[in-house]
Amino acid sequence: MMSQIAERERKKALSPWKSKSTNSSSSKAKKAVQFPGVKSLNGKWGYLYVAPFVAMFAIFGLAPVVYSVYISFFHWDPLGTSTFTGFRNFNNLLHDSDLWLALRNTFSIWALSTFPQMFMAIGLANVLRNTRLRGKSFFRTILLVPNITSVIAITIVFSQLFGRDFGIINDILGWAGFGHHIDFIEGVIPSHIQIATMITWRWIGYNTLIFLASMLAIPNELFESSSVDGATKWQQFRYVTLPQLKNTITFVLIVGTIGGLQVFAEPQQLAADGGSSKQFLTLTLFLYNQAFVNNKYGYAAAIGIFITFIVLIISAVNFVITRKISNDGTR
Amino acid sequence: MRNGMITKFRTKALVASLSAIAIGAGVFTAPAKAADPVTITIWTFGDVIQRNLVAEYKALHPEVTLQIKKSDLDPLDGTNMVTACTSKTGPDIVATEVSYSGYWRSYPKCFTDLRTMKTTGEPTAGIPAGQTANDIAKNYLPWRWQQGVAFDGSVIGIPTDVGGLEVAYRTDLFKKAGLPTDRAAVAKLWPNWDAFIATGQKYDAKLSAADKKAGVGFIDNAGTIYAAIMNQGTAKYYANDGSENGKLIYATNPQVKLAWNTTIKATNAGIGTRIGQYTSDWNIGMNKGTFATILAPAWMMDYIKAQAPDTAGKWDIAAMPGGGGNQGGTQLGIPSYAQNKQAAYDFLTWYLAPAQELKVFKSYGLFPAASVLYNDPALVNFTDPFFNNAPVGKIYAAGVQTLKPIFEGKLERAIDTAIGAGLGRVAAKKQTADKSWAQVLSDLNKVVNN
Repeated sequence: MMSQIAERERKKALSPWKSKSTNSSSSKAKKAVQFPGVKSLNGKWGYLYVAPFVAMFAIFGLAPVVYSVYISFFHWDPLGTSTFTGFRNFNNLLHDSDLWLALRNTFSIWALSTFPQMFMAIGLANVLRNTRLRGKSFFRTILLVPNITSVIAITIVFSQLFGRDFGIINDILGWAGFGHHIDFIEGVIPSHIQIATMITWRWIGYNTLIFLASMLAIPNELFESSSVDGATKWQQFRYVTLPQLKNTITFVLIVGTIGGLQVFAEPQQLAADGGSSKQFLTLTLFLYNQAFVNNKYGYAAAIGIFITFIVLIISAVNFVITRKISNDGTR
Repeated sequence: MRNGMITKFRTKALVASLSAIAIGAGVFTAPAKAADPVTITIWTFGDVIQRNLVAEYKALHPEVTLQIKKSDLDPLDGTNMVTACTSKTGPDIVATEVSYSGYWRSYPKCFTDLRTMKTTGEPTAGIPAGQTANDIAKNYLPWRWQQGVAFDGSVIGIPTDVGGLEVAYRTDLFKKAGLPTDRAAVAKLWPNWDAFIATGQKYDAKLSAADKKAGVGFIDNAGTIYAAIMNQGTAKYYANDGSENGKLIYATNPQVKLAWNTTIKATNAGIGTRIGQYTSDWNIGMNKGTFATILAPAWMMDYIKAQAPDTAGKWDIAAMPGGGGNQGGTQLGIPSYAQNKQAAYDFLTWYLAPAQELKVFKSYGLFPAASVLYNDPALVNFTDPFFNNAPVGKIYAAGVQTLKPIFEGKLERAIDTAIGAGLGRVAAKKQTADKSWAQVLSDLNKVVNN
């Protein structure tokens, strides 16, 4: 009963803002916004306001992209002579087994780092949400420490933990009765696990805070009424918390996918060539090595364009899923 | 600091106004003593530019400020220079590791030809005025000097050090395995690489079962033998056909096949521990005695000292199988768009003069490329207590003098990387040697043709 009243109050509070915003947007559609006193310049001010961003974006965002597309059609030598080669770079790229290997590695590392991390982050957030927990702010703060630690430092520490001969993880596995030492560099899945662990460690705190924020936004009345109905803690988590987190989960997934496609420093620090059989060569590392080790700038630009297409496909999939989820939510 | 700047500014203003008067009057000659302050920017990595020498130069030339920018992420060094050269900017001095010299020799336009520069002269350090790179070339090891010469003959870099490569070994572990410990006797164990591998097998045969299980071996990583053998030849991946880029011969050069086969043989004989160099396992293994030998360039001696201080006195240095060896080395050059070329050249010729290279060797172990020092008693009689008082100067000098110049090309690093990965696959038992070599060739085919 209490909760219903509160809900009604909230809607009332929201409604003026809602109606105001629809009004202004509908008037904007018909006619430019009127600025009192500067009638003569109406409509042009908007461009001035966005100009700084557009200028910056054009110089640092758009221009390099256009330039990359341009050089992807060349055998490009920044210091010598470049020759136009048409679609040769793209043709060679699609026939390059390294590309598909890099794609496989990228997605494998992405999956290994995103999903376990999400479960752990939701779990952690649920613990931190507990109002009776002491030193809440302290824990919430230290969660972000891994995120501001240098990737290079993280890699150095983790590669010591994962060392084949003297690493502590292999020591622990040994005590647990695991006979031979796992090579966390040469093995395909072991090396992916090592990299995914670094990524998880670095980002779990950040994601926990995001989940925590969205958990705190869940109206307390929902928990109150469910406990009145006799729900256990687990049932509350399963049927109240989780459904309310749907949109946040989608957000974390999208951000995680973008980050996952950019994994570079961790594998680069483990072995600059991505491993002896390129077992942890990721797409971005592949691009980087083609450009800055093999001096194939045009080829690297073609890889960049390929990555863009992958991102577009994933965005489309994300878009569909997000829309489906938000439709479900309103139902 | 602040006050100092103001004073400097005032002095400069005073000199400027005085010289303005002088020009106006036409009698007064500008005072030669008050040199204008100048800032030399240097792009470098690691410890190529030594702090104590910088302080020494500062005392000689108070008007010079050295602005040093270090970047240690490997390819960045090359990338920054490419960007600088395309955008016609750049520092006054750049340090280039020799693995990049095959690339830069194709682009002399990015560097000042040091044959066109003349020293101002540094009487206190014994550097006469008017010396070009041609005049000082005779001071340096000829094949090492060539690594700083571009295809058109212009001098784009002057060597700071030469890597050298000898065998660092643990006397205590050798004794335990019943091998001789005296460095001359040890060198006799391995006149060639096959003998080196046989010695390794002998060492491994004496190991206890527990040691074997713990992964103890004779050499830290058998894969390092490859680069050592490659540098003992007269050609690597390129033949000098007189063209700008040279001709690729990696698939046909017998030296490549020899180095590959010998390394595979050593790997299959199990004499290596398979620990990667510069990993944490390597650092720990160095302390624990997991391996008894390392193929060590001179600059690695300092690394061993820092990582395994408790093993002091247990190490010694013996000559390489099959003669000398080399790995690494750096040179300093002046980019063509440098702002203060004269000041940079004066610093460079002072910093790389034999006297200074000797100081760097004694304090830090970078082996001088200045071959005039190789008969200098100060170098020849230099011993290192950490390495059981081995005459390291004499040993490395003898080794580097047996080497021949090798033509290096643009794709040097890419080819080395692909072959290194191939050896890694065999060592990790992922592929047979033949399959791995086939993949090396197909990988390189992509590097060359794509």
